[in-house]
Amino acid sequence: MDELLAPEPAQREGEPMLRARSISKHFDGVFAVRSADLSLWRGEIHALLGENGAGKSTLVKILTGVYAPDEGTIELEGEQLEFRNVIEAQRAGIVALYQELSIVPNLSVAENILMGEKMPATAGLVSWGKLFTIAGDHLEVLNQRIPLRRLAQDLSPVQQTMVSVARALAFDARVLILDEPTASLTNLEIVDLFRTLRHLRDKGVAIVYVSHRLEEVFELCDRATIMRNGQIIATELVTDLTIDMVISKMVGRNSDEIFPPRRSHSDEVVVEIESLSGRKVQGASLKVRRGEILGVGGLGGSGRSELLRLISGAQRAQSGVVRMAGKDVTPRSVTHGLDAGIAMVPEERRSQGVILEQSIRENVILSNLRLVSTGGLVRDARVRSLANRGMADLQIHARGTSQKVGELSGGNQQKVVLAKFLARRPKLLLLDEPTRGIDVGTKAEIYSLIQELAEAGAAVLVVSSELPELLGLCHRIILLHQGRLAGEVAAEVATEEQLLTYCYGRTI
Amino acid sequence: MAMERPTEARGAGSPPVLTESVPNRRLGMGRVLRLSGTGIGLILLIGIFGALRPTVFLTVGNFVNILEQISILAIIAAVQTVVMVVGDLDMSVGSTASLGGALTAVLLMAGWSIPAAMLVALFVGALIGALNGLLVSYVKLSAFIATLASMTAVTGLAFIVTNGANIFGFTPDFKPLGQGRFLSVPVPVYIAVAVSLLIWALLRFTTIGRRWRAVGGNAEVARLSGIRVDRVRFIAFVIAGLGASLAGIILVSRLASATAQAGDSQMMLSIAAVFLGMTMSSYGGANIGGTLVGVAILGVLTNGLNIVGVNTYVQQVLTGGIIIAAVALSRLGSRRR
Repeated sequence: MDELLAPEPAQREGEPMLRARSISKHFDGVFAVRSADLSLWRGEIHALLGENGAGKSTLVKILTGVYAPDEGTIELEGEQLEFRNVIEAQRAGIVALYQELSIVPNLSVAENILMGEKMPATAGLVSWGKLFTIAGDHLEVLNQRIPLRRLAQDLSPVQQTMVSVARALAFDARVLILDEPTASLTNLEIVDLFRTLRHLRDKGVAIVYVSHRLEEVFELCDRATIMRNGQIIATELVTDLTIDMVISKMVGRNSDEIFPPRRSHSDEVVVEIESLSGRKVQGASLKVRRGEILGVGGLGGSGRSELLRLISGAQRAQSGVVRMAGKDVTPRSVTHGLDAGIAMVPEERRSQGVILEQSIRENVILSNLRLVSTGGLVRDARVRSLANRGMADLQIHARGTSQKVGELSGGNQQKVVLAKFLARRPKLLLLDEPTRGIDVGTKAEIYSLIQELAEAGAAVLVVSSELPELLGLCHRIILLHQGRLAGEVAAEVATEEQLLTYCYGRTI
Repeated sequence: MAMERPTEARGAGSPPVLTESVPNRRLGMGRVLRLSGTGIGLILLIGIFGALRPTVFLTVGNFVNILEQISILAIIAAVQTVVMVVGDLDMSVGSTASLGGALTAVLLMAGWSIPAAMLVALFVGALIGALNGLLVSYVKLSAFIATLASMTAVTGLAFIVTNGANIFGFTPDFKPLGQGRFLSVPVPVYIAVAVSLLIWALLRFTTIGRRWRAVGGNAEVARLSGIRVDRVRFIAFVIAGLGASLAGIILVSRLASATAQAGDSQMMLSIAAVFLGMTMSSYGGANIGGTLVGVAILGVLTNGLNIVGVNTYVQQVLTGGIIIAAVALSRLGSRRR
């Protein structure tokens, strides 16, 4: 082991399967990746870590032929390669599965796996028998039982991921790159995915695993490369790292600064929810106090997101009451909810939170048209000042308020969503996965912000699938199991195990 | 560990965060070409026809003529722009124009006063728009299906109203609306300019304009931001119906006659004009300035081809080809990398 760690840490003997040497890429004079060296070995799962904007995606895009590097070389099995496009990289055996899965929803599982060059056909006619046999073989390698004739759109997210992986196998992938593959998966599904990935690793595939979820990295990966500001900071064996070490390398500071110290809240109940029911949520009752941050946990599909939607008015409740200061304000629509002082930051940032093709300015005013207009006329000066204030208060990194939101990093997009709703000065703020897919540095900023809002008197509800987040941020945590409240704990004394027990409805 | 680099201070004063995967967008040559391509196309068309028939095409009289010919399309295309900003499509504007004109004609022949006849026609136009809006916003039909169906039904209504006949012989007082001139510019041109300015102002300065743009950008984001998406789309369709009917009334006055299908051809042209105009916006969305350039291209093309003496069937083929070329070029230009 000693030999392995010096002078290049975590190096192995022999030649790596893929070696990228001093890769650089810049856009308009700004380096996105700078002199990056990356080696991948046959049969390893290699984590690629870093904050948003650290250069991970650019590096991945260079490896997969999306971008051509300005400098540097890529060798696969000792052979130097230059890819002009994704297809050439795929033919060489380097395949990336992106967050937005490349699945055609209205084709069958089998067709999705072999679509394109691998489609068995004679004279342009699909050989269906062969198609199902070959596709079935690939799924079998993954130990997956997914009906080959089912339409891809009817699959669960994890099954869709599996189909993508099978497709990569069908294209003889030697290097498989996964970008946040677990973002939309439940814990059980993640276990399934990991089993498959380990299986592939043992068959000699090199897997690059890009994720913000460090717990997963420690569970799954063999080595980790950490990037910051376009440069590779370190490559280490995961067994030689701790989460704190990784975070400090990613951000250049310690992890205990991520969660601000908890502050006390008042006893005055601001919001009272009485037996609220929707499609999944059944008879949810709870109270939130002024200045309190209440966490909502549960497995995917437990109704935790629906609970927020019901409270905010995004979804009509079948029964139940939302009371604020003793008054029935049960919202019939988001508009009513906002008027009553309830704002919800939705779960899916890109499809529910921001209009990607429009500017920061246009996004921020969406909930605040009354604030920036007189008699139906929009006042440009007020729009600008509202947007500028949002940029400054939330420290949004952008060229200006007229920059398109789609060009910002995930963390900055989330800040735009927050700026939009905070301008309404909500008394009850509902946050659904407020830090999903966001880099550690921005996470810390958002945590402090949430706490400042609470201290200023807002009641806050936070849904999160990351238990450490609930434990670190909240005063109190309620857990949902199959639509019902399964438990409540004080965050300060609770443990992850305890939360999980409630999540599984006390059966595990 | 030895590779650990000195830590940078974050927050105020730190260098701007790298936005990876997002190269800075500069006003490069390709981008300029793409955005102004449609405008250049218009100038090119004028140049070509000017070179071919300088004495006929390049005259003030002919330009006034072109303006007069396109003013009705401009009105319909302006309201079509609103519907397309919202992300929908109104296939019924042509037949609504026909019905609006026919209704006015029939009422005038029945002895109604001009304002009364026009008001009824405008009201019916708004009603058709409201029906479209209702079907799209509240019944949740796709705009394509809803307005295709109402197009068919409205065409039927127009035939019922006119009894399939060509109606003419209106009171002379009705003539100025479509045929009058003020300062030697035709009255319909003023109306088209007024409608375009109004729509531009609605889109640019009002909260409803921002709501339209938000719903067109992403309806779910708009809804979760507290915008009443259904109402916002509904209003867009009402405006489309109203504008279409107005255009139809002016058309009847200009032609001094009304038929059940007089305005039908305007539907396709209006959509084509908006598409041409979309190529001129940086975000690829419908916008009133671009729409007007699109209208002008279609007008110059028809006028020029007529003057050059190309037969109408060939004209149709050429018009279709040019729309495809313009939209395809802008797509090529906007391709990444």
